[in-house]
Amino acid sequence: MGKLFKTNFSTAVIVLIPACIGINYIGKLFAQVLKLPLWLDCIGTCIGAILGGPIIGGICGAANNLIYGFTTGDNITLVYALTSLFIGVSVGVMARLGFMESFPKAMITACVGGLAAVIVSTPLNIIYWGGQTGNVWGDAVFAATQASNLPVWLGSLLDELVVDVPDKLITGVIVYLIVSKLPEKLTSLYDANAVVESLD
Amino acid sequence: MKSISLYSDNGSWLVKLHPFSKMFYLVAAILIPLISGRLFMFVITILVSICMLGSARMLKKALPLIAFSFTIILTIFLIQGIFYKDNDSLLLSLGPVNFYREGLLYSAHIGFNILNMLLSFSILVLSTSPSELVEELEKKGFSPKFGYIINSVFQIVPEMMGTMHTISDAQRSRGMETEGKLMTRIKAFLPLISPVVMSALTSTRERAIALEVRGFGSKVKKTYLYSHPYSTADQTMKWVSILCLLAVIILRATGIL
Repeated sequence: MGKLFKTNFSTAVIVLIPACIGINYIGKLFAQVLKLPLWLDCIGTCIGAILGGPIIGGICGAANNLIYGFTTGDNITLVYALTSLFIGVSVGVMARLGFMESFPKAMITACVGGLAAVIVSTPLNIIYWGGQTGNVWGDAVFAATQASNLPVWLGSLLDELVVDVPDKLITGVIVYLIVSKLPEKLTSLYDANAVVESLD
Repeated sequence: MKSISLYSDNGSWLVKLHPFSKMFYLVAAILIPLISGRLFMFVITILVSICMLGSARMLKKALPLIAFSFTIILTIFLIQGIFYKDNDSLLLSLGPVNFYREGLLYSAHIGFNILNMLLSFSILVLSTSPSELVEELEKKGFSPKFGYIINSVFQIVPEMMGTMHTISDAQRSRGMETEGKLMTRIKAFLPLISPVVMSALTSTRERAIALEVRGFGSKVKKTYLYSHPYSTADQTMKWVSILCLLAVIILRATGIL
């Protein structure tokens, strides 16, 4: 377990965090520009988690929502800091367990990230929005479950599931393609388990 | 380069306040109605926030922040008004659709809570420069490394947006389609985002070296360029917020509210 959460807090890793937060923002912006019905706002969090480990992933996720919440007025995202934190941690743990080595394994990681998001977001959605997510497809599912008298938590869970899992799967594809192409010169900077060998 | 922060210095009294006194107000304004559990308390805090924004000539800038939440508040009213689980007493019916009192009251609670949070946050967001907030936090013992993370997000995002425009233009000039069917747009996402992400990640290496050279990792205590002493207005705001919050907690605990 100690190795799973081992984190290197060097300057390179500290610099990685704002870059990942910026990537999250750009992903969200491109999704809006291309009018995609997805959020795609945790690409950076996933990259941070894969390169720096679960702790860095968690910091990226939480800091992302806290910073945008406190400064751009988009403070609805503030309550979802917890969701982002868990996405980062779960993706980081999966990556450390070796679930980022091949494409099918990366898809499993993406599913785990998506499920983490669903589990954490559902209670938040119920507390703040009465169970809705604000996404058209998800809310249609929610309305349908409420009309057929299903419990709120189940409706909210399905609402979130319909939106989050496809979103995280596409994020997973993008992250896998990008991370597998990164030069080792760069990735070795963040490796917490790297050992420096001395010649004398 | 366009900044992502909404702060602008218009010289009003809110801008001159210490960031911490605005944070005290923020916490009090969000917690008071939640603790009291009464609908009219939301109305009071919302009105106070609107008055503060108005007197600092910021109401116009706060409107777009609030406006985006109206659609979701509206759908909450629709869905909960019709389908809320405890719906019992009919309020009005429009054709085949029936709205119930319980559902509408429940959605009013959610709606007012959201509106209240948005307004009290916009006071902090519109009138406080992020770097000043970070510096004041660092003086109180906040980790300078996290301070750097926050400050540098505000530099990196505009820079990345510049790269994003360059890359969009370059890919379009090569004939890539960014409009049309959903599949076309999904396919366009990867060639657009991957160069931005790659360049952002590779530049972190140089950034890290540059910071190291300037003593970023040094453990010596740092000094600050600016100081922002607490004024009388700051003290008033801080203590009024704290006392109001305490009053509501006491009233609630003794069962008066």
